[in-house]
Amino acid sequence: MTSLSTLTDACEAVMTFISRGNESPPAVEFNQLALGLFGFQFTQNEAYANLCQSEKRTPDTVTRWEEIPAVPTRAFKSFDITVLPEADRQTVFRSSGTTHSNRSRHHHNPATLSVYKASLWSWFNEHMVDEAVGRLLFLFPKPSEAPESSLCQMMGAVAKHLAKREHFFAADALWRIDRQATIDFLHDATTQNEPATVLGTAFSFVHLLDFMEAENVELRLPAGSAAMETGGYKGRSREVTKPELHRAIVERLGILPERILCEYGMCELSSQAYDGKLGQANPAPRLFRFPPWARACVVSPETLDEVAPGQAGLLEITDLANVGSALCVLTEDLAKRHEDGFELLGRAKLAESRGCSLMNLNHARAITGLFPG
Amino acid sequence: MLEQSLDYFLADKQGAVLSDTLITEACQTLRTNREEYLVQIGNETIISKLVEAASLWLSPDYELRKMALAADPETTGFPREVLAAGLDACFSEWTQENFFGLLGQEFGDATRLQSFGSLSSHSLAMVHGPQLIAHVAPGNLPVPVFQSIAFGLLLRSAQFVKCASGKSLLPRLFGHTLHYVDPGLASALEIAEWDGGNETLEGELYKEADCVVATGSDKTVGAIRGRLPLGKRFVGYGHRVSLGYVEQLANEVMGTQTIINRAAHDVVAWNQQGCLSPHVIYVEEFGNLKPERFAEMLAEELAARSETIPRGELSTKEAGAIANMRRFYKIRSANNVGAILWESEDSTEWTVVQEDEKQFQNSPLNRFVFVKPIEHLDELMHILEPYRESISTVGIAASEAKLREFALKLGAWGVPRVCPLGKMQRPPLAWRHDGRPALGDLIRWTDLETIQ
Repeated sequence: MTSLSTLTDACEAVMTFISRGNESPPAVEFNQLALGLFGFQFTQNEAYANLCQSEKRTPDTVTRWEEIPAVPTRAFKSFDITVLPEADRQTVFRSSGTTHSNRSRHHHNPATLSVYKASLWSWFNEHMVDEAVGRLLFLFPKPSEAPESSLCQMMGAVAKHLAKREHFFAADALWRIDRQATIDFLHDATTQNEPATVLGTAFSFVHLLDFMEAENVELRLPAGSAAMETGGYKGRSREVTKPELHRAIVERLGILPERILCEYGMCELSSQAYDGKLGQANPAPRLFRFPPWARACVVSPETLDEVAPGQAGLLEITDLANVGSALCVLTEDLAKRHEDGFELLGRAKLAESRGCSLMNLNHARAITGLFPG
Repeated sequence: MLEQSLDYFLADKQGAVLSDTLITEACQTLRTNREEYLVQIGNETIISKLVEAASLWLSPDYELRKMALAADPETTGFPREVLAAGLDACFSEWTQENFFGLLGQEFGDATRLQSFGSLSSHSLAMVHGPQLIAHVAPGNLPVPVFQSIAFGLLLRSAQFVKCASGKSLLPRLFGHTLHYVDPGLASALEIAEWDGGNETLEGELYKEADCVVATGSDKTVGAIRGRLPLGKRFVGYGHRVSLGYVEQLANEVMGTQTIINRAAHDVVAWNQQGCLSPHVIYVEEFGNLKPERFAEMLAEELAARSETIPRGELSTKEAGAIANMRRFYKIRSANNVGAILWESEDSTEWTVVQEDEKQFQNSPLNRFVFVKPIEHLDELMHILEPYRESISTVGIAASEAKLREFALKLGAWGVPRVCPLGKMQRPPLAWRHDGRPALGDLIRWTDLETIQ
């Protein structure tokens, strides 16, 4: 195990790991670093340490990263899952929700934020950037207008890395897209024959595509154009199935199906997974993969042990880039385990669908409050 | 070997392709059959046949009961033991006395289904059931479907029962029992299954029916109501939640273990799938029986019951909801912030969470129950204010006098059903679902004012 006694040490160790990019390090290195981080977080976060002690899984007893106790995403709503002292929490990422009490909070300081940015860029660059990438259309608010949305901050980081390319943030602080300006941007890319990458949440795509349909607009974006679609609807638009949404992107924007990728992430994590890579065929079933510094386990809801390949369960992520919070997070997402990735199946909701038991409002919001914000 | 063939209803025919024409024809046949038999027979005949059907279902050797219990829990929604207990609770209510009691309660005089009645010469009145009722059956419990069919027969109505795909087995088996005890009764009954939202089939069915009864999520019920023409009789049962309440002197009246047993009974019955099952049990905090002790004992009792009446397996989705909620309470429990968790080991079989926060909370069900402290009933009603419209049942552990006193308050506040703890999932046959008359919403009255 790597002994990490300060946040600086921990961040440095993870940065070194991330700097190796897609090169897959030996499992033993991941394990060592995970255990080192676990030891660090255990000593720095009392709420988490209490959980570990109650389960008798502490740095003294845990020898494999798979045994590190997971924090449920829901706990980010009522506890400060952080190693940072209050004065050192300069940035907070929150999940979507209507009130503070039902939104997760993930605290960062400049050091942990650097790790976050290194992590997101490395894997984004690996999947969403190829030689064809031209202009960037973000169906998001400007990062300055949504400082607590990790997704907007991620887009801001991407825009900075790709600063030479023309880009446009199309939404206002309330996530409303300036639809005409968006069409103009895309139209211009088309006439200039410059490919464009459109990035947005599923609901923003629906807003844009519905508008295009109503206005009878169809664009044929130049070859090399691409789309990145991410998480959820949150009741912000009508819900459409993924195949339907992707079909509409193909039809209305002229983007090839193999160049429409999905991203999976959330404010409680610092790394993201993608279900394909630009420049590849990306055939179905599309499987999500995290970078080498984050591992996804599909665990049985009954035992919380990893399921066999082909089986379904809850998705649990061990993300080394979560240096300042908790590296092991239990999500509310259901997934099917594959040998080399996972397939998303939906959410582990309260049993509302089976009849007449009420989903109360507060609760419904709390449990569906996960939004890659 | 079965004495009867199980090929009678549309839902019996595997792979049958349903069309709007087929629905129309089925409805017309139902109406004709109703005219030829159902409207001709008396209350005594119908009730005796229903009681006969119930007694068959209560017999452990009855073939169709055995088939139901042997069925894959995926199909019925319940493991054998849970289903058996639920069926027994339902059919033991089906007595001649209870059926006549129901008719008396609803119509003043059971004969009003057949004549203008004779109770008073000044108020002669007769009731008429719909010619054809379309039932949209709930996907969770079979009991309301059995009951709806029985009520429809009492009203001499032809009935078309639409089940969710893959959920028709129990209604079908019950339909075959009716066919066995009296083919005439079954001839006015059709059972079919398809995925809800099929506008072609449903449009036709709703057009044919005089009355539509729908049970399901608020969304489903609302969608159906929205599609019906103005003036079509509609009875909808949407989302409701229920809770338990332990009065501070209850343990002196009935003993602590009795209260625990009754609470466990309500949690285990139908694995909490019905809207009469408790999500939360409130325990008055200033009595001898403290909420924490209550929760601990309830956990022990649920553990014991999982041996005799196991919950069965859940879908990943349902188990996932429990696992997540548990994990959240585990971290709260470990941090001593007003919550304690008791849980079965290496499974989601049962869970008890004692939480100081008094807010009503939805349980992920399937034997997951919250125990919360409460000062008194007034505080409870205050807390439940946001859910006032959505409460079904409050199951109370208290003396008879307290039960009545609480019922007065709760009733005035808006609760449609108050019962002793332990009986939450065992409403009497004549209970008024969501506070509505059991039969009264379905029928039409004809008043006769005589010359004299």
